[in-house]
Amino acid sequence: MKNKALIVQNLYFDYMEVLSSKKTVKPSFLNLNGLFGAVFENKKKEIFKNLSFSVNIGETICIAGPSGHGKSAFLKIVAGIVKPQRGDFYYFGEYLPLERFSALEVAERQVGLVFQNGALISNLRVRDNIALPLRYHGRYSESEVKEKVNMAMDLMRVRGEADHFPHTLSVGVKKRVAIARAWAMDPKLLLLDEPTSGLDNYNRNNLLPLIDNMRQLFNTTIVIVTHDLLLAEELNSDLVFLQNQKFTAPKSFNEWLNSEESVPRELFRNIRTVF
Amino acid sequence: MLFETKMQENRAYKNFSYLGKAFHLMGAFFLDTSVGRLFKLFIQSFFAIFSKKRSFTADSRNIINQVFFTGVEIFPVLFVVATLFGAVIIIEVISMMSKVGFSDVVGDLMVIAIIRELGPVFTAFLIAGRSGSALTTYIGSMAINSEVDALASMGIDPIRYLVTPALIGGILAVFIMTVLFSFSGVFAGFLVTKALIYIGGDLINIQITWSYLSSAILDSLTIADFFLMVLKPVVFACIIVTNASYQGLSIQKDIRQVPKATSRSVIYSFLYIVIADVLLSSFYIFQYLGEISKII
Repeated sequence: MKNKALIVQNLYFDYMEVLSSKKTVKPSFLNLNGLFGAVFENKKKEIFKNLSFSVNIGETICIAGPSGHGKSAFLKIVAGIVKPQRGDFYYFGEYLPLERFSALEVAERQVGLVFQNGALISNLRVRDNIALPLRYHGRYSESEVKEKVNMAMDLMRVRGEADHFPHTLSVGVKKRVAIARAWAMDPKLLLLDEPTSGLDNYNRNNLLPLIDNMRQLFNTTIVIVTHDLLLAEELNSDLVFLQNQKFTAPKSFNEWLNSEESVPRELFRNIRTVF
Repeated sequence: MLFETKMQENRAYKNFSYLGKAFHLMGAFFLDTSVGRLFKLFIQSFFAIFSKKRSFTADSRNIINQVFFTGVEIFPVLFVVATLFGAVIIIEVISMMSKVGFSDVVGDLMVIAIIRELGPVFTAFLIAGRSGSALTTYIGSMAINSEVDALASMGIDPIRYLVTPALIGGILAVFIMTVLFSFSGVFAGFLVTKALIYIGGDLINIQITWSYLSSAILDSLTIADFFLMVLKPVVFACIIVTNASYQGLSIQKDIRQVPKATSRSVIYSFLYIVIADVLLSSFYIFQYLGEISKII
């Protein structure tokens, strides 16, 4: 338990709740879902059922699987943005009950999330976007903030776009800025949603040593959702597949390569011919 | 199964007595309505002012931006509306009242029409139509681009970051604009009336001087007028900003919701403003009833 960065147990989540997430602010005794559950039952799309997941501190783990099966939804649940119906969450060994489960509570435990589209604040320049959380939390002085922002921009090679607004940037640059913003906050657990999609080979290869550095120097736990299976090989990390609303057991890239299970078999088809 | 888990979350509710349960149900029912959610958002954004993460420089910059956006940019339109409206009311009141022989109530009518009722309400309508709708679109598009989620996942309270500066800036701006509306309604309205009399000659057959108008207005102003001149804009600004932010934040990730939410924001702001105006003006109704009973 002590060396686990994240444990998720018994997670249940269906799609109805995403559609009506506004209703989660409702006081729960007026439970229309409970009363009329039978009516909505047909429309429910179960995404996760009794799913469990755990990752050790300092470990990097890649999540792959066919698209549309809830990989991004899982990251959003772990980051606290979407509230599941049931589930036990332990962040760094500390239990977080569902009543208090919110993005702000999760962020207090130094969990960072990089969105698939970057989700940069559109009325702030790149520089201010990266500095925004640092200034808000007030942990650093202004000169330290500047230094940290410059360092983050240099690491992700976005120094040239420091004074641009997000709408003028390309998808790849946006993603790099988003990763820089997450890096600057020194997260203990970093969730990356498709970090390599939209990046050219050069920048993709630059991203790998950065992720490597983070886990070597800062002992950051990293969970990556990706379609880029080679990432697991290059980072030398474990790979799990999301299959039938559950995660498979983590195995290394080479173990999966020779596996006979159906989903990995499909996804590895192209790679097998190369190796 | 779902019902059970939700009931477990409300363990404290089981231990209440019957009276406590009744109050709990009533409170929860109120908070479940749209007005209740607005109230909840208002309380949250108000108490976020005192949160630990406050920073004076960042907040004051945001607030100044908000005041500039909400107030200063709308001033030309507001000035024209106030001036023309003031002129129309001055002309109508003076020509009508002298016809029916009530020339001594001109000041009262001016105060009632411009300073008590139309000034605050008109300013609130203008700002709800312009800045309220803009705030809804701004927050709504942020919600659609998952920027609100991104703020929360960075540990930044979206209400603290988006709603609270708009609330403080809105209160300041609506208050300043209401005062300016009343002043320009009376001053510039008087000048326009004079100009119309000069141009129209005999068409507008009224006699008016600044000393007469100003002394009539000053005589009929009461302490309650000054008190409500502060209270009304504050209440209206809270309504506009809270409603606009609520409509923006409640947008799901669906671009079709933005126009709907924007129109809801404006229309419901109008509705709540008029209701609040009636409630606040009921003070005068009670005062009037008291005076009648004294006469009788």
